[in-house]
Amino acid sequence: MNMSDVLEKALVEMGFALLEHRGNGEFLPVAKLPGWFAEIWAEAADGSDPVPLSRQSPFLENFLLEAEDYWNSPGSTSCQSETWIEKSLSGREIPIQAKALFLDGKRILALFSPDAQFREQVKFLQIARNASLDHERLAREIQKKEILLHCIVHDLSQPLSVMHVAMDLLSEESISERSKQFLTLGKHASNQQETMIRQILQTFSDDLRASLDAGTEGNSSSDLLQCARKTMTSLGPTFEAKGVRLAVSSTVDPEGKWPVAAEESRLQRIFSNLLENALRYTPAGRRVTIGVEDEGDFLRAFVDDEGPGLPQDLRPEQIFGLFMKGKQSGGKAGLGLYFCRITVERWGGTIGCVSLPEKGSRFWFRLPRATGRTSASSPAALQTSNASSPKRIQASVRPLRILLADDQEDIRTLTAYQLKRSGHTVIIAKDGKQALRAFRSAYFDVVLLDQEMPEMTGDEVARAIRKTEEGKKKQVFLVASTGNTTSEDARRLKQAGFDDVLGKPFRLEDLNLILSASPAATSATKEPSTPSTLPGANFAELVARVGGDEKLLKRMIHTFLRDMPRRLVGIAAAIRQKDPERLASLAHALKGSVGIFAAEAACKHSQELQELGRSSELSKASEVLALLKEEIAKLQANLRGYANQTPARPKSNHVKRQRPPRNRGKRRR
Amino acid sequence: MLQKKICMLGSFAVGKTSLVRRFVESIYSEVYQTTVGVKIDKKNVKVDEKEISLVLWDIYGEDDYQKMRWTYLRGASGYLLVADGTRKTTLEKAVSLEQKVREEVGAIPFVLVINKSDLIRDWELDPALESQLAAHGWGILRSSAKTGEGVEESFSLLTRKMLG
Repeated sequence: MNMSDVLEKALVEMGFALLEHRGNGEFLPVAKLPGWFAEIWAEAADGSDPVPLSRQSPFLENFLLEAEDYWNSPGSTSCQSETWIEKSLSGREIPIQAKALFLDGKRILALFSPDAQFREQVKFLQIARNASLDHERLAREIQKKEILLHCIVHDLSQPLSVMHVAMDLLSEESISERSKQFLTLGKHASNQQETMIRQILQTFSDDLRASLDAGTEGNSSSDLLQCARKTMTSLGPTFEAKGVRLAVSSTVDPEGKWPVAAEESRLQRIFSNLLENALRYTPAGRRVTIGVEDEGDFLRAFVDDEGPGLPQDLRPEQIFGLFMKGKQSGGKAGLGLYFCRITVERWGGTIGCVSLPEKGSRFWFRLPRATGRTSASSPAALQTSNASSPKRIQASVRPLRILLADDQEDIRTLTAYQLKRSGHTVIIAKDGKQALRAFRSAYFDVVLLDQEMPEMTGDEVARAIRKTEEGKKKQVFLVASTGNTTSEDARRLKQAGFDDVLGKPFRLEDLNLILSASPAATSATKEPSTPSTLPGANFAELVARVGGDEKLLKRMIHTFLRDMPRRLVGIAAAIRQKDPERLASLAHALKGSVGIFAAEAACKHSQELQELGRSSELSKASEVLALLKEEIAKLQANLRGYANQTPARPKSNHVKRQRPPRNRGKRRR
Repeated sequence: MLQKKICMLGSFAVGKTSLVRRFVESIYSEVYQTTVGVKIDKKNVKVDEKEISLVLWDIYGEDDYQKMRWTYLRGASGYLLVADGTRKTTLEKAVSLEQKVREEVGAIPFVLVINKSDLIRDWELDPALESQLAAHGWGILRSSAKTGEGVEESFSLLTRKMLG
């Protein structure tokens, strides 16, 4: 037996079908054929006559063209097919591979059914492609969730802030008992809504963070130009199909580094949305140009198109609005540019668009330059006022000079009204640029900045303020006002230079707590005065806290003393009924109330109860409640004394009709 | 009988195999089973009174794991370019495949089939891009292998294009 015979036998043993090519696509078996072969080509299995296999299998017909080349020059590289599927006579799908061999001057076609190997390959590819589909689906879901999250945070929280403040202010007015009951109902409902919003926000942000955990959490950085190039590569054929040229601007240094504080996949999505928008409006034969520019602490990217320019009936900021679609060639859902805006602003950047002087438009965004990943030893995250620590509460707040910047007119008006009532001097700004101008032209103790404002975001203003303060000993107390209150947001805000965060929706007590923690306010408390040994601030300090309005203070004390027993009963019931959510909610509300009177220990115990409620850990709640009641009793005694004090002097412009004595009479009974 | 070879091209999981199964066997499966290798089916159709045998090459969707062999297009009279309406990247891939086919085998007839029209609420394709491609002379049809909508029409349109 020569070597060829041995090889033939070995191949047959291994399940190969060996056929000699006789020309014209016909084959004659040279050895016994395996069972799978007979399942497909039964008539060829007896091995007597040549079989026109290529006519029976279009795939083999195609492969034979390559095989012929090999047989004609057998020294060339081996000739093997990929897997293809043939159906057996019974309908079973059989995977096959073919290999052309040249043995003893014969043109041999070896066919093999790699069944087990094929099944493994299918299994592997199925898993890989399912994972890839899941990833795509997840990316789409994340974009949708981020938009929804943004809507919840801003579109629902903003009006709630106004409602809270308006109802707080209303409760301090002289209104009937019946109106007060309605007000209580309204407050209860808005508190419930706030709790729900916070729960949804927390769930979504945890969910999104978990989804993006694979190396994208925290302060990831990306190269702006590389992201732009990757997006250009994937969209290149689409541009070509439409006949639109796509290029990087000649002004860009191709070797330059463009690190920005942004997560890569979302950054590519931003470029992709901007490029698709540009393609939509650019006629064939024209060009879309992409570029990046250095602006010091920020890097800017732009996409220029040669379309008709921006619509004249829309302001640039409206173009980035939710569900905004162009009248001509509009996108599908109006979410693309909106996603760009919320994502860029979330990273502390800005986005905008302008019509170009000659033709077309420019869509641009700027992001903070990345300064490297934050290590574990980075500054601790900021706390939001809504989860404030009792340590924030200081004895009193002296009148402060406050710069208030918010683009929402209602929030601006109500907040300014309350701050003025509390004796502070307030300068208001409607956008970031106005805020920066105001800051540069006057002295302020506190700057309260909304995060999402036109012209410049709160982040940008904060960075600019900190830059102007470089080398100075004294720095202004910067407070961010935002609905984005996750730990990642807090870290970002800290890096931008903020000292504190006022979470939206906020109440007046939240705002007061923040102000009381500002250096200007605390320095005043250290001034020599008659220190109070009792819980809470002394009467003069409390009067100062409400802008010198003794009448208002007494009304607040009256309300506090009247409501306190009921509130303590409510907390006790929540503990007894094992209702952690209610406990957290009631304790939170109580914390705010005692905070107004600077009752530090009572505030601390309220905070402890709130945390026990939030963590559903009620075993120690009764113990803490006992401590709280003790502190409240001291505070009540103190406040009763204040309530009986004679006003220092009536304010001439606050003289009002004396209130009927019916409440007092009722209370005595 | 006149025989015409048609190739099915497109990203993975766009529904190439499902379209062929719906067209040839009138069946559909909800379960996604990836295609590894090449499957070939035949179906006889009648277009303008002409009997034609269509040889359908269902080629695996190109991705990082399996690269397209352009020799499979040898002898093809036309191809169906399949995209998934719910994944806009598949349309980008389809546009890129059309370009490659032109480079490798020249300009042969094709029809762009945007599949999964039964999931129209989840579509993320930009209608503007669809109309731009149509304006460039692309034959574009929407289909659903699940409901059968547009399936016969897609093969029929391609066959007419192949017959000139």
